Amino acid sequence: MQRETLEVDVLIVGGGPAGLSAALRLAQLQSQHGGEPLSVAVVEKAREAGAHSLSGAVLDPSALRELIPDFRERGAPIATEVHADHVYFLTQHSKIEFPIIPPPLRNHGNYIVSLNQFVRWLAEQVEAQGIDFFTGFAAQDVLMEDARIVGVRTGDRGVDKHGQQKPTFEPGVDITAKVTIFCDGVRGNLTKELLRRLPLAVGRQPQQFAIGLKELWDIPPDRIAAGTVMHTLGYPLASDEFGGAFIYAMTDRHLSVGFVVGLDYPDPQFDPHMAFNRFKQHPFVSSLLGDGQMVRYGAKALPEGGWNTIPRTYMDGGLIAGDAGGFLNAMRLKGIHLAMRTGLLAGESAFEAIRAGDTSAASLKRYQDKIDASPVRAELYPVRNVHQAFGGGLWAGLAFAGVAVATRGWWPVDLHGEAGHERLRHLPPGTGSEVVAQPASNATTIDRRLTFDKLTNVHYAGTAHEEDQPSHLLVQTEVCSTICGPEYGHPCVRFCPANVYEIARESDGTPRLQINASNCVHCKTCDIMDPYGVITWVPPEGAGGPQYNGM
Amino acid sequence: MILVVAEQRDGRLNRATWETIAAAQALSANDMPMKVVALGASIGPVAQELAAAGVGEVVATEHEALATYTPDGFTMALRRVIESLTPTFVLLPHTYQTRDFAPVLAARMRASLITDVTGINGSGASATFARPMFQGKLAADVRPQGAAPFLVSIQIGAYRADTVKKGSAASITSVSVDIDAAAIRQKPEPPFQEAKQAVDLSQAERIVSVGRGIKSQENIAIAETMARAMGAEIAASRPICDNGWLPMERQIGSSGQTVAPKLYVALGISGAIQHLVGMKGARTIVAINKDADAPIFEVADYGIVGDLFEIVPALVKELEKA
Repeated sequence: MQRETLEVDVLIVGGGPAGLSAALRLAQLQSQHGGEPLSVAVVEKAREAGAHSLSGAVLDPSALRELIPDFRERGAPIATEVHADHVYFLTQHSKIEFPIIPPPLRNHGNYIVSLNQFVRWLAEQVEAQGIDFFTGFAAQDVLMEDARIVGVRTGDRGVDKHGQQKPTFEPGVDITAKVTIFCDGVRGNLTKELLRRLPLAVGRQPQQFAIGLKELWDIPPDRIAAGTVMHTLGYPLASDEFGGAFIYAMTDRHLSVGFVVGLDYPDPQFDPHMAFNRFKQHPFVSSLLGDGQMVRYGAKALPEGGWNTIPRTYMDGGLIAGDAGGFLNAMRLKGIHLAMRTGLLAGESAFEAIRAGDTSAASLKRYQDKIDASPVRAELYPVRNVHQAFGGGLWAGLAFAGVAVATRGWWPVDLHGEAGHERLRHLPPGTGSEVVAQPASNATTIDRRLTFDKLTNVHYAGTAHEEDQPSHLLVQTEVCSTICGPEYGHPCVRFCPANVYEIARESDGTPRLQINASNCVHCKTCDIMDPYGVITWVPPEGAGGPQYNGM
Repeated sequence: MILVVAEQRDGRLNRATWETIAAAQALSANDMPMKVVALGASIGPVAQELAAAGVGEVVATEHEALATYTPDGFTMALRRVIESLTPTFVLLPHTYQTRDFAPVLAARMRASLITDVTGINGSGASATFARPMFQGKLAADVRPQGAAPFLVSIQIGAYRADTVKKGSAASITSVSVDIDAAAIRQKPEPPFQEAKQAVDLSQAERIVSVGRGIKSQENIAIAETMARAMGAEIAASRPICDNGWLPMERQIGSSGQTVAPKLYVALGISGAIQHLVGMKGARTIVAINKDADAPIFEVADYGIVGDLFEIVPALVKELEKA
């Protein structure tokens, strides 16, 4: 088969905050230093910039200020400045406000943004620099020569659901580069592959993830002032379920409402999407949303393990930045600025290494040195144990978080976390295949006004895929029906926020896993949370996926 | 002046063209003159048909290079026609063909293009056009800006072909265009894949649609019997086509076809929003479902809460009596 090839100096995989910051920094260095111009390309699986970008989001503008000092003049979409912070502990019927806002949750000087719009704007800045930005192309495989990264192969197009080539078949393109910067986001499929093939995670703790669900609402006027930021703990989660909610009031009566649950809850029949529904039914929340309209929905995993779970981020010919590396501050609930900062540093490192004529791991280690000398480490290192402390429950975690703030992170030994799915409990023997037909253990009423079933919600994610293509969720169904079903009752049906996994019945009643792959919103939760690691998320044909306009 | 672009193939006008004429009449409100342009290599009969219906002056545009549709050929020809006639509005049916060339035409002419319009408020130059946003969740009223012409494509089913007001026979003028055949970059091949009774559900007047409630592939026959008795096409919601019980081209909804028949009968369809967006434009919706809380009843004009395996045979019996 004849494959097209493209050769560049720097290839950036993923056009989110990290990848676009890297691209922009490269362009800036290029114009500062002159010389033989470097060719830079960015590949992005979404149809257009920002379509797969989902976050709360409150933006700490520190990295933006450094990257684009005149961001206001350039029209950065950051209209809503935070003017009030509230933190509440919810009980089933009421709320208790924290008398003081814990320092990590103070948002003075930050902005409530739509990450979708922000990324779209960043992409415009990048394209204005003449950088090739290929949207609708998913990086499918890492190209390696021994332990050296030489580029990526993009996915084939025009393959039907049986794997046969359609008349429209186009083979993927091999893009080779001196340095490839992996910014493929949380649980990125290529970064996952790197961690499997190279000893990057040796001596590091396992990454710990959470799932975030979000809705955008239009609410009646005068409910809440734009610029108000609220976070909650407690109801509807039990103390052994980590998580909480956010409510961000934007201009034009838009309200961003979201719920985050640690992917380390013990009950396999717990459903994060139902927890979100229950949260919205709390009188405090329903009084904000009542008579409003849900206009968008989305879900995405987030890496919460912190400093000690970040793998080695440099290798021969490769760097990892942003969520792909786990650069997120779970205590501040923020990662966009760290993604931008690490992207920016990765761009600098790639530039220097190429100019020095040496893109080996030894040369690219400069990236780690830059991170260590930057605000990234200053911010993440002191809170490196906090998320792990929540493994002991909500109260232990909160107490530890307080200590960490007071001592600036001093603690005699580092706490150890485990991969979240290992905490899932087995169901009583013989009940697994029965419970899957029942509602989730935390099910609540669905009225399709305030609370929604997953199928309705997923419509508002705008997700669309080419229908006639192979499933992009590779599942070893043998394990699923013989082991995971009986032991855990098919938890994929619960943790997937988009109704991708369903247990259908054959005419003789035997359960059969049905995969509705075209519902997928690319959140990666299944790849993370499935207890036997038998689900592998690979990118579907380029341009498929959610459409997070305004999210 | 309003110019309607008729769509014909092999001398036959499609229903979407008549719907677009109905939209143009609403926009005109007897106030703005109307013309209809038809393109092809030899379109005498089509022009006659349009002229006989008396919907306004017919502009016949014939050229060898327009024998088969090509985006370059149609863009060049329509650009010439529009530039010589200087209409305020150009209305097109929102068909696959229009979707293919209209953006190019608008860009070449630096004209505004409002696509997939479902309704027109007001008339004449001050009209606003409703078009769906967020997959039908919102209807935005938009008004074109800048200088005429304004291109507007009309969603299939948004207007009804049978409401076209016919007048006394109109005149046919012909506008000649010279097209540089060498500048047409596309080389049309003979049509393929449409041979085997391909279904275009968007043209069906009656549809019987089945959902999960049908339970097994064998039971599809029950719905087919009903469809035959009614002279309806058979269609389905997503799970049925996913299971391969009916072919994909019969799927209605956000990942299938959008239809607006006169009558839509939903058998055992719960009415997930993904399905509703594909059929809520139907004039009359009849739903039969066991679950009284199913969302399909929120859009149904007539609903029967009950067992379709009892109700459908009874209905078929009555239909066959008629």
